[in-house]
Amino acid sequence: MIADRKLAAATAESQPLLDRRWIDPPFARPFVVLIPLVAIAALASIWVGRTSSGPAFGLGDAALARTILLEIRVPRTLLALLVGGTLGLCGAALQGLLRNPLAEPGLLGASSGAALGAVIVFYFGIAAADSLLLPLGGVAGSIGALALLYALAGRRAALVTIVLAGIAINALAAALTSLALNFAPSPYAALEILFWMLGSLADRSLTHVGLALPLMIPGWLLIVAAARGLDALTLGEEAAATLGYAPARTQWLVVGGTALAVGAAVAVSGVIGFVGLVVPHLLRPWTGHHPSRLLAPSFLAGAALTLAADIAIRLMPPGPELKLGVVTALIGAPFFLHLILRRSGELAS
Amino acid sequence: MPMLEPSSRPRARAGNASRGERRPTDRHAYRRSVRIAASVVAAMLVVFAAPARGALPRVASINLCTDQLVLRLADPSQIVTLSWLSADPEESLLADEAARYPLNYGTAEELLRYDPDVVVAGAFTGAYTRSLLRSLGYTVVDVMPELTVDDIESNLRVVARAIGRAERGEALIAEMRERIRHLERTKPAEPVAAVVVRPGGFTADAGSLAHTLMTLAGLRNVPAEQGLDRWGSLSVETLLRTPAELLIVTPYRTDEPSLANAVLAHPALRAVATRKTAIEIPGAYFGCGLPDSLDAVEIMRRANERLGAANGDAL
Repeated sequence: MIADRKLAAATAESQPLLDRRWIDPPFARPFVVLIPLVAIAALASIWVGRTSSGPAFGLGDAALARTILLEIRVPRTLLALLVGGTLGLCGAALQGLLRNPLAEPGLLGASSGAALGAVIVFYFGIAAADSLLLPLGGVAGSIGALALLYALAGRRAALVTIVLAGIAINALAAALTSLALNFAPSPYAALEILFWMLGSLADRSLTHVGLALPLMIPGWLLIVAAARGLDALTLGEEAAATLGYAPARTQWLVVGGTALAVGAAVAVSGVIGFVGLVVPHLLRPWTGHHPSRLLAPSFLAGAALTLAADIAIRLMPPGPELKLGVVTALIGAPFFLHLILRRSGELAS
Repeated sequence: MPMLEPSSRPRARAGNASRGERRPTDRHAYRRSVRIAASVVAAMLVVFAAPARGALPRVASINLCTDQLVLRLADPSQIVTLSWLSADPEESLLADEAARYPLNYGTAEELLRYDPDVVVAGAFTGAYTRSLLRSLGYTVVDVMPELTVDDIESNLRVVARAIGRAERGEALIAEMRERIRHLERTKPAEPVAAVVVRPGGFTADAGSLAHTLMTLAGLRNVPAEQGLDRWGSLSVETLLRTPAELLIVTPYRTDEPSLANAVLAHPALRAVATRKTAIEIPGAYFGCGLPDSLDAVEIMRRANERLGAANGDAL
């Protein structure tokens, strides 16, 4: 807490809230780069397939090509965009809320709750019947985790309480997930659970988009509603309160929004790490230390990173597909290291 | 879910009929209900989705076990693709046969290119892929892992019917029953106590396929008698104390270093193996239940007879 205040104070010192540099053209700069980047990545994601690429997908058969395009490639691209965007957005919001650069969407237990929900569905063999039950279980798990968080922390809880409760829920959900693995009905089911937890967008359909989107959109809206409050929070909780932004309200907007949106994302894709952690870091030099200005660029960059990782998966030589969570971490970690090294260099000088 | 070909709707429905009843408290009742549902599905497929008279449906398989079932059941001309694992001799008993066919990695996009009439899949593999294929109007047959002889027979029957080879299925089942009858008739009077040692110290619990095969061979499965259940594992120490006379070691990817294989190479275990009798049965025999599983039974039976005879001499 003290460290947080110091950080906030340092931030306020080095980047005054009304510094003109962050108001004018630089504000638009990320969008000039990111919007075309996402568009190109999305087109490339539709273009690139596991077995062949291109408009006709290497087929003479137009009907088959259309099926592949509309039923396989487009849903996959849409989900990469939505899931990646959600992770980026929620990562930025949480880092803003906690004024801590280590925050990431999984922190509050929403994604491990979603994973547990899906794993329970796997465990009871229900997923064998209908793959739709899997994301539904995930959504139920994430909402359950949020409800537990609220029950544990209470409405007017301090941020620290929320974070600690989130960590406890995370640990509980992870333990229960391992327990389910231990008691999996067969080694095959256990393997399937493990693979699912590494994250993947393979062979999802528009049904999954339809399932995730109605939860993601309210989640995003809650976070956007918290944007001004997040900016005010950079001055500290008391200052924010005097500015008219009740910290408790901002807290629950971000926590609720993250739980809804990330829960829905994890439910359809499995756990995809690193995007929510690394993306806000990548963009912060561009947007300055206004959490509100970080939100939309983080959504776009999260989408671009996830799309790129998913494209990379499909460009690999033939073999079983790599898992998306593995590739996002492989791409994200070097970026992150570079960033840290550069920053520590700046601090030293 | 938008449908591309309205005419394919009944097929999709037929494929979905196994949804619904799920895991009641009794595991066996559940398996039975799945099996019944699968049979019903298969029967419906024969009625509704039978292709043009005479032509056999084109079959794709995306699971190691179903690959091997399909290889045993299908006419070679009707197999369009098998999964990549089936051509791996460490995993598959029929690797040579499987290598003749195009191999897939179990994604919907690949499978669409092969345009199969029937996709045979494991009930635990690729949940998303299976439901996507169903929603696109393909017939998908889900097969549970085989743990007993009954499972093998019912899976043979379900897959055989789904791919239009019901007679071949019945013939294989009859052949299996004949072999099993022979094994029962010649069962040694003195069952030898045995223990399966798999990589990682895993053994065979009472519900496993390995246990089924050991029982057919006339062996006593010691860990199962001691109450180990669900892919139970043994410490090396437990193994040293085991009253079993016969160690059934299942080598699996022995060239590739792994912690699991390190257990098999444990000096203490090797010392036990020199005092007791050890036989090797490739891991692939214990993975999937097939008519070929009886080959493993015959290997174990021979060891059983040898040991039983030696015991008799000692007395």
